[in-house]
Amino acid sequence: MNTRDQSICLWLVPFFGALFLVGFRACPQFFLSMSPTMTAEQVATFYRDNLGAIRTSMILLNVIGIGFLPFFMVIVAQMMRMATPSRAFAYSYLSAAASGGTLFALANLAWLNAAARPERDPQLTMLLNDLGWLSLVAPVGFIIAQNLCLALSIYMDARPKPVFPHWVGHFNVVTALLMGPGAFAIVHKSGPLAWNGWLSLWVRMATFAVYVAVMFLVARSAIKEQTVEESFSVPPGVVA
Amino acid sequence: MIESVLVAEQRPSANVVALPARNRKLDQWICYWSIPFFYSAFSLIFVVLGGIMPPQSPTASPAEIVAYITRPDLSVGMALLALTLGLASLSSGVIVVQMKRMEGVSPVLPYAYLAALAVAGVPGCLFPAFMFSLGALRPDYSAKIHVMLYDFGFLSFVGSLGCFIVQYLVFAIAIFLDRRGIFPRWLAYFTIWALVTELVAVPVWVTRTGAFAWNGMLSFWLGTAIFVGWEFSLCICLHRAIKDQPLGELAQGATSV
Repeated sequence: MNTRDQSICLWLVPFFGALFLVGFRACPQFFLSMSPTMTAEQVATFYRDNLGAIRTSMILLNVIGIGFLPFFMVIVAQMMRMATPSRAFAYSYLSAAASGGTLFALANLAWLNAAARPERDPQLTMLLNDLGWLSLVAPVGFIIAQNLCLALSIYMDARPKPVFPHWVGHFNVVTALLMGPGAFAIVHKSGPLAWNGWLSLWVRMATFAVYVAVMFLVARSAIKEQTVEESFSVPPGVVA
Repeated sequence: MIESVLVAEQRPSANVVALPARNRKLDQWICYWSIPFFYSAFSLIFVVLGGIMPPQSPTASPAEIVAYITRPDLSVGMALLALTLGLASLSSGVIVVQMKRMEGVSPVLPYAYLAALAVAGVPGCLFPAFMFSLGALRPDYSAKIHVMLYDFGFLSFVGSLGCFIVQYLVFAIAIFLDRRGIFPRWLAYFTIWALVTELVAVPVWVTRTGAFAWNGMLSFWLGTAIFVGWEFSLCICLHRAIKDQPLGELAQGATSV
């Protein structure tokens, strides 16, 4: 098996990661100052005043928002190499990654539609803005399922030299725990658990960034390992 | 170089986790037990906290709708759903493993099952949750918006039909084609009944009263009763399928199921 396709998907991570940073940098005030306690008028005024920057960053995030999905499939391919009894966790991971990806796309659509017609009734602009923020911050269940499936697979990997080292399993459990509080942005409009709170938004965003960076590095080693291993193995079909 | 790699491969290492026979199905059992766990959470969220099942009335007045949708319990329920919905992926994972054991069935059907459910979670469960969450988060929306969120919430919850129809369809076809009897044929017939209940829910989109409304005797109660029976039957059959799976299929090395 050739690992070149996996390497290509892997190197999409720094490419899309850089574009993500550009996208967030294009409108920092959007992520810094949108608060759930703003009134409808304030939200509508914010969109009118920052229209260009919001559209620029959201259009960019629309184009690149699903860019990490090929990388998550690299992780699925690596999970399938593990000596786990079955591929149940790999399939679960694939399913959770696909469902989770739709949520970022949905959040982005809500924000872009809020910005598409700034003269709209402020109540409707607030509704779209609320939908965007809740879709971004609250539905953490899918990434948690991904983290836990990967962690369990790593713990069960019976290979003499595991595909991912043991600590990557612990790292995934910790990531799942740090993602969890975001769900409560549905309940709180202020404080650390609100959608702009340090726990729901900033810990979560930082955790995701660190998570992608660390998984990039360990996936790179795993692909290298696989390349070495397969260059020495007997091609399938040669031995009975 | 070559020799050192080969030696490393053969040498028993401290990292080897020798899985005893009873643990050879541990990954499948974890996925399996996520199903009752998820549906317990689901009942707590939708029945106890949310008051979404049985559904509120489609003919409620705007004042009643605002009173319902702004209850704090509802938002706590939706937060728990946002936290636990990912568990639904684990049930797909183990069902795909069992479907891939079937004889006379290519991976097409299990993959279609996986894809249909990966789609279904968002329109059928999470999107309604967003609608109710928005209402609960903002008592200060105008009543018109609360009414729209209420309708959108219940109608997407009861009226997301196609994704589940595809799930039931490919599952039933796979059981009929399977020559190995991984799942019993009666489960396929039951699955077709579950599919029919999705069709019976079609009128929720055009009527607000009577048996076909979103809280009606046929669209909601019959559909839910058959769904609960189907889910129980699936759990029983899936339990048997995992239990009866020969250990030889569960490789210690990289596996294909």
